[in-house]
Amino acid sequence: MKRGASALAALAVVLLILAPLRLNGYAMDLTYITVLSIGLAYGWNIISGYAGYFSFGQIAFFGVGAYATALLVADAQWFWLPAAVAGGAAACALAVPLGYVMLRLRGPFFAMGMFGMAQMVRVLVTSIPATGSGAGLFLPPGSGITGVYYWTLAVSLGALALTMWIERSAFGLRLRALREDEQVAATLGVETTRAKITAFGLSALIPGLLGGGYAMFLTYIEPDAVFSSRLDLQSIVMAILGGLGTVWGPLVGGLVMTQVSEVLWARFPEIYLMIFGGLLVGLLIVLPRGIVPAIAARFAHRRGQ
Amino acid sequence: MKGPLLAVDRVSLAFGGVQALNDVSLEVRNGEILALIGPNGAGKTTLFNVVSGVLRPNAGQIRFAGRSIVGWAPQRIARAGVARTYQVVRPFGRLSVVDNVAVGALVHARTIGRARSDARDIVTFVGLASYADRPAASLTLTQRKRLEVARALALRPKLLLLDEVMAGLTPTEMDGMAEFVLRLSERGIAAVAGIEHVMRLVMRISHRIVVLDAGRRIADGDPATIQADPAVIEAYLGAPLGPGD
Repeated sequence: MKRGASALAALAVVLLILAPLRLNGYAMDLTYITVLSIGLAYGWNIISGYAGYFSFGQIAFFGVGAYATALLVADAQWFWLPAAVAGGAAACALAVPLGYVMLRLRGPFFAMGMFGMAQMVRVLVTSIPATGSGAGLFLPPGSGITGVYYWTLAVSLGALALTMWIERSAFGLRLRALREDEQVAATLGVETTRAKITAFGLSALIPGLLGGGYAMFLTYIEPDAVFSSRLDLQSIVMAILGGLGTVWGPLVGGLVMTQVSEVLWARFPEIYLMIFGGLLVGLLIVLPRGIVPAIAARFAHRRGQ
Repeated sequence: MKGPLLAVDRVSLAFGGVQALNDVSLEVRNGEILALIGPNGAGKTTLFNVVSGVLRPNAGQIRFAGRSIVGWAPQRIARAGVARTYQVVRPFGRLSVVDNVAVGALVHARTIGRARSDARDIVTFVGLASYADRPAASLTLTQRKRLEVARALALRPKLLLLDEVMAGLTPTEMDGMAEFVLRLSERGIAAVAGIEHVMRLVMRISHRIVVLDAGRRIADGDPATIQADPAVIEAYLGAPLGPGD
């Protein structure tokens, strides 16, 4: 089962690398958005899946990355790629002090707090005159989707690699321990605050890096487009559907979700969201821990017999 | 090192109107087994929470290995050499037994591989070797109690705080646990064992006994003295102790 999964993953990566050679127009845009949401799902999975701090505000870091990149490109005439890297750094730099405060909250209070925090960051960013406030910001065109796509693919694969490392590292073990019981983890010597803030920083770095590419993809950004609760929720649902706190969950959940939603959209354009919502509820009732853990359990069971 | 390993000096803690600890003092020497006895609600768990840094006392001083540890975060106290178990066992349910123990072993191990191999040794030492790779949630209560001790031992503590390790065990299992605590003491690990009843074991394994009642220390002495102490008999035991229990 392990070997089969790795072969499948390798095939998916090759197909994704080759995508721009064969796809264009709508299909390319769709592939880009899919890879982007999977990357966001990987970012979210670190703080919410591994550390157990369910966040409804990671999109704030995506927005910060997008705006930082847009400002550097439009006002300082940077090339977009280093600007996107700077966007990631900005998101990460914001996350550390923010995490220090927010991660004192737990459970639903953290989730709600992060939701409010994202709104606050959005208002703050758009109140800077240089961002064009609510009116938005135009970017010089010309980067094309191919460059943006490869950047997004690289960051998302990097997020996958980071997750594989977390799964096997001492850091990951500490995160999982504090997810299970934070007080016990502390009495076993885990520096819980440090581990949580590191996880939060990584969970901000990834959307921060992805935000710059998205700004270049849109060529015009405004608050609603980059502080997009739709993108935020979509990536959260992907991670949960695939399997919270697992290496392959965000990828599997992301692929399943985008494919199913496309098929439904093509066949039942008026009511596809309704059907999709129903399917999602059904799937999560049948597989409450997500697709990947369910498959893993099935294989372990078969091997056990 | 001179002086006691742990010195709790006139510690008090109130929750609302309830005085959970009232001017409690006690000392533990290196390698000593101290039984902390008292009825339910006497303040044993609160005292463990205060010493391990989970709760902060309203008043009083706590010194470990000569240093004041009041106000230290739990992880700092754990790293300094004070390990504890919880009365209501709290395993990391979705982690394997080995990983449960490896979390504490990371304090000393450089790599996760090293921590896991240390953890495996400790898991074997407490007799859970055949469950090492199962999720902790699948263990029975007795096994979970052992896992609690294994996790604490992974910190290589100088002092172990055992909160009701005997509760819920069968008489045979209690004897096993008692032997286990004696072996740790021979290795130089001091232990404070909070025990509600099971006097037979308390008298056999402990070097010294402290009796708590309603947040106050009412007696402190060797087993023979405690057995004869009229205040203890009055407040806690209700009747003189027979040889069997």
